[in-house]
Amino acid sequence: MQSIVAKDLTKQFGTFTAVNHINFEVEKGEIFGFLGANGAGKTTAIKMMSGLLLPTSGDALIGGYSIRTESKQIKKHIGYMSQRFSLYNDLTVFENMQLFGTVYGIPPKELKQRINNSLEELMLLDKKNSLVASIPLGWKQKLAFATAILHRPEIVFLDEPTSGVDPIVRREFWKLIYQAAAQGITIFVTTHYMDEAEYCHRISIMSDGCLKLIGTPDELKQQMGVNSIEEVFVKFVNR
Amino acid sequence: MKELRMILYKELIHIVRDKITLFLVLAIPIMLVLLFGFTISTEIRNAKVAVLDQSKDSQSVALIDKISSSGYFQVVAYPETESEIDRDFKEMDIKLAIIIPSEFEHSLEKEKIATLQIINDVSDLNVASVLNNYLQAITHDFITEYNHKGSESGTVEMVTNMRYNPEMNSVYMFVPGIITLIMIIVTALMSSITLAREKETGTMNMLLITPVKKVYVIIGKVIPYMCLSLISTAMIILISVFVFKMPVNGSIWLLLLLCIIFMFTAASFGMMISAISKTQIDAMMVTMMGLFLPTVLLSGFLFPLDNMPMFFQVLADVFPAKWFIIAIKDVMIKGSGFFDIWKYLGILILMAIVLITISLTNVDKRK
Ligand SMILES: Nc1ncnc2c1ncn2[C@@H]1O[C@H](COP(=O)(O)OP(=O)(O)OP(=O)(O)O)[C@@H](O)[C@H]1O
Ligand SMILES: [Mg+2]
Repeated sequence: MQSIVAKDLTKQFGTFTAVNHINFEVEKGEIFGFLGANGAGKTTAIKMMSGLLLPTSGDALIGGYSIRTESKQIKKHIGYMSQRFSLYNDLTVFENMQLFGTVYGIPPKELKQRINNSLEELMLLDKKNSLVASIPLGWKQKLAFATAILHRPEIVFLDEPTSGVDPIVRREFWKLIYQAAAQGITIFVTTHYMDEAEYCHRISIMSDGCLKLIGTPDELKQQMGVNSIEEVFVKFVNR
Repeated sequence: MKELRMILYKELIHIVRDKITLFLVLAIPIMLVLLFGFTISTEIRNAKVAVLDQSKDSQSVALIDKISSSGYFQVVAYPETESEIDRDFKEMDIKLAIIIPSEFEHSLEKEKIATLQIINDVSDLNVASVLNNYLQAITHDFITEYNHKGSESGTVEMVTNMRYNPEMNSVYMFVPGIITLIMIIVTALMSSITLAREKETGTMNMLLITPVKKVYVIIGKVIPYMCLSLISTAMIILISVFVFKMPVNGSIWLLLLLCIIFMFTAASFGMMISAISKTQIDAMMVTMMGLFLPTVLLSGFLFPLDNMPMFFQVLADVFPAKWFIIAIKDVMIKGSGFFDIWKYLGILILMAIVLITISLTNVDKRK
């Protein structure tokens, strides 16, 4: 079953086309990497798929629902982690999770349980009542991820979740992603780290709003006749 | 509903944790009131008066004595004619002139009633009314003593005459002025700026991605600031009434109702500004240009509207502050009741409905 089906998805800002007729499908439980240079249109695509922006033309089905006409039904089934850290700095770790859990309609008791479990997993339990502003970036990113999947969405969109964090945290973060995928959550992730691209089941490479390549990391390497995704990327962008 | 409660709770935390802003919002109105209030209340002691005594008998002299020894009045002139009274108003800055008609003692004795004519400078209407109250109390004392001595039952009637204030402006008009500005700054400006801040930092998107209705996000933002502005307003009114003896001739509950309705109108402005502005600067500019300036310039509490060009008078009609100020003046000074001011309340409510409708139709649009 497909979690995401993008059909000629297009977004124009005035005369500028940020996302240009992109087509792809993402299977349920898949970790789908979305690569592309700065300004390629990754964030714009994610914003359309998560209901923040209306496509100029084309459509995408998220969990079977159209982002044009059924964005209300989609909301419950997706999680989102924005490119820039966007939890409330003046709220505590717990309060942030409580806020987002509650607006997703998780009953209070259950919510407390889930928050505690999730914080324990992240080893953030002792920071439960600290203001988010006071914790290091790496932990913030993990917290944002945990918050994004607190309501157990079918699909989670991660927009450069590991940018700016150290390699150790990055590895831990990817462990979390794998755990989530193992639970059947579809992961749609953008990144600029080529080593992370190797962790994905499939990747696509975007350039100037167009989707240029799509396939498993091995397929792409073979196709371009190189040994690493980084080389694929460089070779591709230089063309 | 649970979602709305949660959003409200979150806003409350934002407000409470932002101690400086909270302090400013609560302290500035009080400081303003204290500042204005003390300037005013000192004026009311030792008010300069002129006395035209046409009687010059023992009772009239006794009354004048009583007035000047009360501490509230200071007799600075004894004009001989009524035209001299006019001169004293202009040159000596008297607040009040008392005319004791001829045969004061005689009419008190024979007809059991004597008349005092009072001429007020009502450019400070409330000062005038406070002074009249003092005077009433003094003459009352005077007449009880008089009656006591001769076991008589005379009365002194006061005929008051207003002067110099056809518009009934009053020094206490700073109170509605401050309330108006607080309502606008807190409910419209602060709520729309903090909402725009969420748009800038991206937390707004985090909320919009959830199933929560965007209307809740906005309402949840506005309500706490409404409460805050109401607390401020209540404090302003309480201090003015109980500390500075601001005369409220109408019902204080009606005054409060009026403030609450105006708060809704201001909040609906806040909602609309929140719905349309993307950045804090936007929100600030729109509130300043679209609401704050028109309020200061066109509400009639700083600059009289009557003297303005027609264009501005018409423009003033579309902003809520003018109607609020008219209504609040009526309640405070004329003692108007609900049925005298319902039209203004209606206008304010109508404005709120229109604005809320506009913002609701704009709110859920994705671009
Ligand atoms: N609201 C907007 N109005 C106009 N142009 C926009 C808007 N949002 C994005 N763009 C433009 O669209 C293009 C794609 O932007 P987008 O943020 O999707 O890129 P990205 O692939 O996420 O880049 P990055 O790797 O830097 O995050 C950029 O050129 C950007 O300037
Ligand atoms: Mg981006």
